[in-house]
Amino acid sequence: MGSPFSMNGGACVAMVGKDCVGIACDLRLGMQALTVSNNFPKIFGINDSVYLGLTGLATDVATVSDLFRFKVNMYRLREERNISPDTFANLVSTSLYERRFGPYFVSPVVAGINQTSGKPFICGFDSIGCIDFAKDFIVSGTASDQLFGMCEGLYEPDLGPDELFETLSQALLSAVDRDALSGWGAHVYIIEKDKVTKRLLKGRQD
Amino acid sequence: MADRYSFSLTTFSPSGKLVQIEYALNAVNNGVTALGIKATNGIVLATEKKSSSPLIEPHSSSKVALITPNIGMVYSGMGPDYRVLVDRARKVSHTGYKRVYNEYPPTRILVQDVAQVMQAATQSGGVRPYGVSLLIAGWDDGILPEEELEVEVEGEKKKISGKTGGILKGGPSLYQVDPSGSYFPWKATAIGKSATSAKTFLEKRYTEGLELEDAIHIALLTLKETIEGEMNGDTVEIGIVGPPEDGLLGYEGVEGAKGPRFRVLSPQEVEDYLTSL
Amino acid sequence: MEVLLGITGKDYVIIASSKAAMRGPTVLKATDNKTRNLNKNSVMAYSGESGDTVQFAELIQANVQLYSMRNGVALSPPAVSSFVRSELAKSIRSKRPYNVNLLLGGVDPKTGEPSLHWLDYLGTEAKIPYAAHGYAQYYCLSLLDKHHHPDIDLARGLTILRMCSDELKRRLPIDSKGLYVKIVSKEGIKEHVFEDEGQVLPA
Repeated sequence: MGSPFSMNGGACVAMVGKDCVGIACDLRLGMQALTVSNNFPKIFGINDSVYLGLTGLATDVATVSDLFRFKVNMYRLREERNISPDTFANLVSTSLYERRFGPYFVSPVVAGINQTSGKPFICGFDSIGCIDFAKDFIVSGTASDQLFGMCEGLYEPDLGPDELFETLSQALLSAVDRDALSGWGAHVYIIEKDKVTKRLLKGRQD
Repeated sequence: MADRYSFSLTTFSPSGKLVQIEYALNAVNNGVTALGIKATNGIVLATEKKSSSPLIEPHSSSKVALITPNIGMVYSGMGPDYRVLVDRARKVSHTGYKRVYNEYPPTRILVQDVAQVMQAATQSGGVRPYGVSLLIAGWDDGILPEEELEVEVEGEKKKISGKTGGILKGGPSLYQVDPSGSYFPWKATAIGKSATSAKTFLEKRYTEGLELEDAIHIALLTLKETIEGEMNGDTVEIGIVGPPEDGLLGYEGVEGAKGPRFRVLSPQEVEDYLTSL
Repeated sequence: MEVLLGITGKDYVIIASSKAAMRGPTVLKATDNKTRNLNKNSVMAYSGESGDTVQFAELIQANVQLYSMRNGVALSPPAVSSFVRSELAKSIRSKRPYNVNLLLGGVDPKTGEPSLHWLDYLGTEAKIPYAAHGYAQYYCLSLLDKHHHPDIDLARGLTILRMCSDELKRRLPIDSKGLYVKIVSKEGIKEHVFEDEGQVLPA
């Protein structure tokens, strides 16, 4: 069976640009080497300017995304405002740590823009909620080693939205091509202060 | 066994009133007057500190309390009940908020939590309602009421302002919470024995666009109308929500660290305001 | 060696399950029905640990029907699937989880839109155009990859099912004793007699 983190496969990456952030994921869902679905997105909209990426055990991806949809809806009703990415990151962290001794097998990534300060924000987590604040990029999933390599090579600071899309997409597509458990197309979100662009990449279908 | 006979002491009278809550309000209305005034750049909370004997140590009791670095409160009614609520408010601001989001609750959220505690005491078994009304003052980060933010949403330009309580509202807010658990936002108000006359006075003195220093001045003038004994640094207690006091952080050199906005004025500071009255 | 197959078409879903009830290499029964009708427009096929399977299927069946009694409306297939997923996700972290894999096929009672959901015992869920569980996945998915289109008619769907059935007979070492086939369309659930056309031998 191996690790629960690599039973279903999948990859996710987020990057910071100039006044924008990007987050992208692949679309594969598998059972070990067998592909079950090629339309299993791993990025979930939290609100207009915050997105959550989840890789790992697919059942927990679904459970955890549902959990945060619930928590964020309750937050919005109670506070009459949208949750900011930094606040959401802390919510993710505390929620995962609640399951410290029986964790959800997911590696979350948060990307968004803080509407109050206008600042881009990205971060990643381990499965028990330790936050990895990063200035440049965050990777997660079975292709994370490959993504580290691609991002390390392609990333440069202060990219505009279009250049960021190119860099992010190339990093993801090249990384998943070297991972047998990821691929089958991708979703790419480019988040600006008042605009979000979602693109679907076909990618290699093998 | 004990919980089997644990029913709420607050029960409806045939007329539909909850008299226990009305009695609690009576306790408030016999209490020492407390007042709050909201200014553009802050809030002032003020009350009289009565001592039953000249032999009492004046510094041993305090009526204005800090809840979070940006939120404070004052009361009118029963002191011991108030201290329980201060404890609960401080606790809930951490367990219900800071430990989850790593930031302090906005004023309205804290007010709701405290109000929920007070409401629960009107319905739970074996307890009586709290015999206090609270004035809770706080400052929230976000867009200030007078600022406006222009945002483009799907090609349309939209204006977001803090005035309507939109998504990013910030600035000062002042709430009153009653024993029933109901709460109201105020520009300026008073609770306690002379609440009615103090409010009439405030209505005359309050103007839109008030600055914090003016508000402190008006607060002392209002208190002067109702106070029975002498007014000095030991008999008047003032709490303010003002600009961040980085000096109160206890450390320096940490980037982005902001000091608390809420603080209780020292007797000397109160004395200074009183002399310039 | 239990076989579950699901194929969606233009306006229908085919759900097929093997008739053999097995315990180890022994075939205990050749007329086992591993499907349950949840309501007028959705069918569930299940495989996994014997005992767990029927127990879980009937739990779901009863709850889906209870929902309809309480609310006077039938759950749509995606809603049923979401409910089943949450039950399995709860179960996997319990002391003794249900070891059940499922296919859930149905048509939307209002729009007539067909849908097929693949679920495993972990609570993994995927909405896909054609699906299989067990060894059938390895033999049939590649066949379906080649021949399936979203808008195939029923005759074509059954032809592809026959191709799958033949491939299983050709490759599996144990005969799964034929298939029970149910077809869900806007008209409801129909049992389809899937004739056993004898031996199929590999080349």
